[in-house]
Amino acid sequence: MQGIRFPVGRLPDEALLSGLATGDPELAATFVRRFQHTVFGVAIAVTGDPQLAEDIAQQTFERAWRHAQIYDPRRGSVATWLTTIAHNLAVDALRSRRSEPMAPEDLDVLLDVVSETPEQWALADEASARLRAAVAELPREQGRALVMAGIYGMTAQQIADWEKIPLGTAKTRIRTAMAKLRNTLTSPKRGDHGQ
Amino acid sequence: MASDVTCERLRENGAELALGVLSGRQRAEAVEHLEQCADCREYVEHMTLVGDRLIGLLPPAEPPTGFETRVSRALTRAATAPEGRPHAHPSAPEHKGVRGRARRVRLRMASAVAALAIACGFAGWGISTAVEAITATPVPAVESEPVLVGDLTSPLGAEQPAGEVYAHPGPPGWVAMSVALTGSHASYTGKVACLLEHPDGTTTHVGDFALRNGHGNWAASTPVDPSAISGARLTSSDGTVLATADLQVGQVQTPDVD
Repeated sequence: MQGIRFPVGRLPDEALLSGLATGDPELAATFVRRFQHTVFGVAIAVTGDPQLAEDIAQQTFERAWRHAQIYDPRRGSVATWLTTIAHNLAVDALRSRRSEPMAPEDLDVLLDVVSETPEQWALADEASARLRAAVAELPREQGRALVMAGIYGMTAQQIADWEKIPLGTAKTRIRTAMAKLRNTLTSPKRGDHGQ
Repeated sequence: MASDVTCERLRENGAELALGVLSGRQRAEAVEHLEQCADCREYVEHMTLVGDRLIGLLPPAEPPTGFETRVSRALTRAATAPEGRPHAHPSAPEHKGVRGRARRVRLRMASAVAALAIACGFAGWGISTAVEAITATPVPAVESEPVLVGDLTSPLGAEQPAGEVYAHPGPPGWVAMSVALTGSHASYTGKVACLLEHPDGTTTHVGDFALRNGHGNWAASTPVDPSAISGARLTSSDGTVLATADLQVGQVQTPDVD
């Protein structure tokens, strides 16, 4: 992108994304630098496999570059768009490796991670902080179902098999947990219209 | 209301739908209901937002050393390359000659599939024998028209070829798959599903068909917007991904005989 005379690190996310098509190496490096930890974080959390997570993270950036023109800021931030892509790719990878079972301790660790509220999250936006708190308040079995479905991409039937519970119970746990989180986000405490 | 799914039933499955974990048939029924029900659409949109934000709670992590450099260089090369595509896999250029030849063969097949498909009017029909018969003979020159094409490969594997995919914008739009699985799924026999992938990672279930010993051909009519489709996926009845393909816009044109 010729004509840029200020640090590209200050460019808004959307402008960086659009700028990828120019082939400017500085823009590409800045874009990757800005989002690589977020994208890799999703991939490694879902797969637990560093090599696979790296593959997924790279594919995520390539998809973002290839389809930058259809990114719609009204539907969420660039970071959200990227994490959604990374998550979908990671879940696909998990499904193709179905023979490798998820370790129960991994599930509980991940549930603790998404519900913890240590100081490093203090600067996070309020909606995320409320969501963490809401996840922490879920009964453990609902939290586990939420993580299995929402992060590991497991179906209700797979959750039922994993937890050795009836299918209806698994579906209810997912639905109830999601409803509680939804109520948290839509409660009139403070408007949150995007990220 | 054409859909058998009621609002109450939709609310039972809405969370799973939003999280992308609803089974293919239930998903299709739910989507059909959503097309007619604004309230349920809004409900699922809210649930989708919750799902997105849940993923956003995952902690950032340090990627391997050199990741930033490797990926940013790949993106830069892709943006300046004539074809404008990133080369994620180092082995890709080695197959260029073979792929070029395969592409021309595929384009001939695509035109044949298109002609056959339009003639038959589409309804999710098996095309195995007919396509094989057509592609075994020379194909005359055809009009140039865009079509999405891609190689099916085993997911995240060593690029083992597993068939081909075509998606034509139409009208009428259509999707065709020619499947020849290799590796651990080579002997797979049973029902499979064709899904189209969108740039945001979501998928649309197009239809089901059967494979015998890892082989089969199939096509179905479906709306095809090239800008909203990034790839295709073949899954078994239990959701296992058997093969995936990145789709690129090609041209159905006069065959280039080797």
